[in-house]
Amino acid sequence: MVRHARFVAILAAPLLLGASPSGTSTLKGVYTEDQAQAGAQLYATRCAMCHGRLLEGTFETPGLQNRFIVNWSKAPLSELYDYLGRAMPQFAPGSLKPDENAKIVAYLLKANAQPAGAKPLPADTAALKRILLEPVSAKAALKAK
Amino acid sequence: MLRGSLGAAALVGLQACASATKLAQTSAAPPPPLPGKSISLVPLRVSLDQLIDLKCCLRPLRAAGPNLGTEMVRDTLVVHNYGHGGSGWSLSWGSADVALGKALTVFPKEIAVIGCGIIGLTTAVLAQQYGLKVTIYSRDPIQRSRSFRASGSFTPSSRIALAEPAGPAFGDLWEQMARFSWKAFRTCLGLPGKPVEFTESYGLSDTPPQRRVWTPDPAITDSYATKGTPLQHTEFAHLDERIRDIVPQSVALAPEEIPFNVPYATRTSQMHFNFSSYAHMLQSEFFGRGGQYVMRDFATPAQFADLKEKVVIHCTGYAARDLINDQTVIPVRGQTGWLVPQPEANYGVRYKNVSVLSKADGVVVQNNSSTPELGDMLGVGNSMELVNRADTEAALKIIAPVFAPAARQA
Ligand SMILES: Cc1cc2nc3c(=O)[nH]c(=O)nc-3n(C[C@H](O)[C@H](O)[C@H](O)COP(=O)(O)OP(=O)(O)OC[C@H]3O[C@@H](n4cnc5c(N)ncnc54)[C@H](O)[C@@H]3O)c2cc1C
Ligand code: HEC
Repeated sequence: MVRHARFVAILAAPLLLGASPSGTSTLKGVYTEDQAQAGAQLYATRCAMCHGRLLEGTFETPGLQNRFIVNWSKAPLSELYDYLGRAMPQFAPGSLKPDENAKIVAYLLKANAQPAGAKPLPADTAALKRILLEPVSAKAALKAK
Repeated sequence: MLRGSLGAAALVGLQACASATKLAQTSAAPPPPLPGKSISLVPLRVSLDQLIDLKCCLRPLRAAGPNLGTEMVRDTLVVHNYGHGGSGWSLSWGSADVALGKALTVFPKEIAVIGCGIIGLTTAVLAQQYGLKVTIYSRDPIQRSRSFRASGSFTPSSRIALAEPAGPAFGDLWEQMARFSWKAFRTCLGLPGKPVEFTESYGLSDTPPQRRVWTPDPAITDSYATKGTPLQHTEFAHLDERIRDIVPQSVALAPEEIPFNVPYATRTSQMHFNFSSYAHMLQSEFFGRGGQYVMRDFATPAQFADLKEKVVIHCTGYAARDLINDQTVIPVRGQTGWLVPQPEANYGVRYKNVSVLSKADGVVVQNNSSTPELGDMLGVGNSMELVNRADTEAALKIIAPVFAPAARQA
């Protein structure tokens, strides 16, 4: 489990939190509302049948809120983007076009209380490597609920 | 043995045709019986001498549904998980998953769970499965909690919310929790001690069964909105339709199949929980994973922030009404009588609003009869948590005739 190993390593080094030399963080607003909205539509047709209309998941398929964002936080956003591009939707991995993928990532960020901004999220792994997926503070997360 | 009489089959053949048409209105048509087969059951002993326990309990009903909200108490994130009405057992896993989802967003390594009823203990175990170190702080262990005074069937929308105040979005959340829980319970089937089990439950009646259709009483103009408490059955949320695809539905029995002293019967498969072994299963997992249990009684929510864990899941059930001063928690009194376990008669029966269910931990008897019929209103607003023996005695009297020897000769 590659991702699990990464998760543990990150927990072991919490002081790195926020350290994204020469990069930026999702807390600064790295996608646009329009992008997230387009992502929501893609999600509804390509993902919701498994992950749930409200991202709630099931006993067997992971939900895409809460625990999900914990799994992918404190790491470059490129990891999530690349994973979706490689592995999702599960019955047709590799079928997401880069711009569709970026829209879905934008939607997932929005659904997890990450702020929108003025510039769209780039559909490009190298650029996304410089964006840290940073958890929103407990208080901000509460407000969004 | 109670036995649907084959001999009687020919005799009642004509009537059977007539009644089958009527039955079709309420339940699926009876499947043709296997040739030469009728249902045979050991009769339940429902006499007073078998009564070994009486229990009373308050269901924590919240009009808006369970509180799964969050708040900060000083530097501590408190996630609530209480107010599950008559559905706490049934929704325990799904509700724990929702509460923990919120807790996990702040990256805790260790959490505190307050309360050790079915909600607290399940939340604690699921948190461990999610990799957290967990300490339970509770006044009582589960065996002495209100949860052990339930009856213990899968009833996920029993007094769980009121339709209006909960709003349309609640249905989705409820369905998520119910489906998640159902799958979790499925993983416990067939374990030693049978913590979770399916049994056949028979709905019996003297007249062709009719699904009771409730319509709002026009004489009652007030409601929860004006009085702060529900005033009639139709105010309650009834959500079971949403999970009809997974939960067994009832079928009508042909007259010759009916092994009871009544002319009409339906049968359904019912999931139930055997409290002793279920609690043992959860506690074994909790302590096996290194969980800590601390006996502790909280007087105010401010004390939550004194704990060393900075993420706290609050699961005190009805007690939350006082502890965190949530006056929206409405008591719904319920009482169960318990007869000596009768594993050889492993089924349940409902007749005239009295239900009897044979479980590994005893035969549970509930009296939901009243005139007029109150439906979900029975016990609402009643916080008298002392048992009333006469109530259970009356239930046994009502149900006894269905097991009467006459049925076995007929
Ligand atoms: C007659 C009856 C039949 C029922 N049948 C069913 C059924 O068939 N199926 C179903 O799903 N549900 C049923 N229920 C509902 C179910 O029992 C409840 O929803 C459930 O027990 C609620 O569990 P809980 O863990 O929230 O609360 P509780 O079981 O009340 O647990 C609360 C815990 O918090 C602790 N606590 C309380 N106050 C404090 C404090 N101040 N400090 C520290 N600890 C504290 C207690 O010691 C306890 O451990 C029934 C209820 C009744 C009354
Ligand atoms: C056919 C069902 C199915 C569909 C459709 C599907 N997924 Fe998945 N998804 C899964 C399963 C199952 C997993 C768990 C990974 C595994 O088992 O390999 C998963 C995992 C994920 C994860 C990782 C979750 C975590 O917490 O680590 C993300 C993110 C994800 N999916 C996003 C999507 C997106 C976005 C789409 C639509 C483009 C999508 N999925 C479509 C079934 C599906």
